Amino acid sequence: MAKPIEISNLSKTFRGKKGIRVDALRDLSLSIEPGEVFGFLGPNGAGKSTTIKILMGLITATAGSACLFGKEISTAQARLSVGYLPENPALYDFLTGREYLGFVGKSFLMAAADIEARSDEVLGLLELRDAANRPIRSYSKGMVQRLGLAQALLHDPDLYVLDEPMSGLDPIGRALVKDIIRSLKQRGRTVFFSTHITADVEAVCDRVGVIVRGKLEALDSVEHLMRSGIEGYTVQVSGGAPEEGCGYDFRPLKGDGREYYVPKDSFNRFIELISAAGGKVELIETRRKDLEEFFLEIVK
Amino acid sequence: MYTLFSLNLKWIVRDRILQALLTASLVLIMLVPVLSSFSMRQSQELAVTLSLSFISFVLLVFTLVLGSTMLWRDIERRYTYSVLSLPFDRGTYILAKFLAVAFFIFAGALFIGLCAALAIKVSAVRDPSTLPLQWGRIAVSIFMDSLKYALLAALGILVSTFSTSFFMPFFSAVFIFLSGSASQDVYEFVTSSSGMKLNTAARVAARVVYYIVPNFGAFNFKLQAIYPIPLDPLQIVYAIAYFIIYTTMALSLAIWCFSRRELT
Repeated sequence: MAKPIEISNLSKTFRGKKGIRVDALRDLSLSIEPGEVFGFLGPNGAGKSTTIKILMGLITATAGSACLFGKEISTAQARLSVGYLPENPALYDFLTGREYLGFVGKSFLMAAADIEARSDEVLGLLELRDAANRPIRSYSKGMVQRLGLAQALLHDPDLYVLDEPMSGLDPIGRALVKDIIRSLKQRGRTVFFSTHITADVEAVCDRVGVIVRGKLEALDSVEHLMRSGIEGYTVQVSGGAPEEGCGYDFRPLKGDGREYYVPKDSFNRFIELISAAGGKVELIETRRKDLEEFFLEIVK
Repeated sequence: MYTLFSLNLKWIVRDRILQALLTASLVLIMLVPVLSSFSMRQSQELAVTLSLSFISFVLLVFTLVLGSTMLWRDIERRYTYSVLSLPFDRGTYILAKFLAVAFFIFAGALFIGLCAALAIKVSAVRDPSTLPLQWGRIAVSIFMDSLKYALLAALGILVSTFSTSFFMPFFSAVFIFLSGSASQDVYEFVTSSSGMKLNTAARVAARVVYYIVPNFGAFNFKLQAIYPIPLDPLQIVYAIAYFIIYTTMALSLAIWCFSRRELT
């Protein structure tokens, strides 16, 4: 089976006024596996949206190639199995939400009955049923964002390309979108989404790619990053003699409890010493670099 | 194609500016019997002349508003991101826009034409003329005018495909309309004995403009509609063929340009 997204040596150079050259994307190679949720992380202006616009055929690459399910991105057929949410979507505001979904459904050659049933479903999912028959021009920014996601979900595609899907949403809306992405993963769909918010990636992604100034600087699984980011442990101990903490700083807790910070490499030795002194380990908490620190290290 | 066509048509029909224009055009047409009564002997002829001129003017405004702004509005408001990321190719997108504008021009011409027929009939009954009313020729004249404006709309869309501002397609369409309306007369003048007195550069420039801009004179059948001048079927066939060839060329070029446009 062809991969949902296959990008090879993609570059994009813009020529601004006075001939100024901007390398928005430099030699990007990336492939996304079926059923994967991939977070495309980068600061503003890093090249995330440029990559997505190239994938959706809105702009052309200066060099390199890309395919969606093995089909060249320059063809309209390549987009048949894709649900795309643009960044800050602009949808024809003279239509109602339901009419817009009807238009999108027809463009994907869905049957009228399917369009109606799926429209009801996605409008309900995105909590837009009450506003469905109102013109889009009367929607708030968050509602437009949710309708944008609804139209991407409508034809239940195999691949979702979401450009900043949480942008403009309140915390409830953000949680809703995360739930939707998780449920897409459970149903085996592939999700490629861009964001500059690390917590979003941590919450839902299998893999993350970090792009900075048009170059892919890191590519790894979120799980591996989380594990490799472990710096040490916070250990709460009761009983035993405090001096048997073998030189580790501690903070006294209520009663005879103490809380130690133990570096990752000394953990086993520390446990042995505490046990030998008759101390009892009450709680161990991992202290790790979060994705944000990892991201900031790369960006800097 | 039909999905995009009906979407664009819906947009046009719901546009409040166009609704206001349509209402204003009906008011203008209703004024025809009043204005034509100022002519003592040729009330009917004046009614036909005024009706055809009003229709032509209203269609021109529709064409300028739609032909030169529809694509620009899509790009300016970033609707293109949502629409062109759906499985449509850009050629279909441009053709659907043109067809919706052309359909509206023809439908508008039919609607205002029917109202004009009523106004002409009122004038003709009130002040009968010695000349018979030529309804068929009036219909041909309105149809040819619609073809002219559909061609102008295609040229407006062509300019929009490479322009980044509203002004360029709008004023280009105005310029094309003015030069295209005058090109036949100017060409005939520069090729006449009087025109030979002009310097060579001016004559060459006039010829170049004549061959580049469309000859809107080919669509003018007003005289045949007003006075008893017989219609030349060959002239009609020539005008229709001219419309098809010129519009096809303009739209092909528009698709070629828009397919290469970066929607950043």
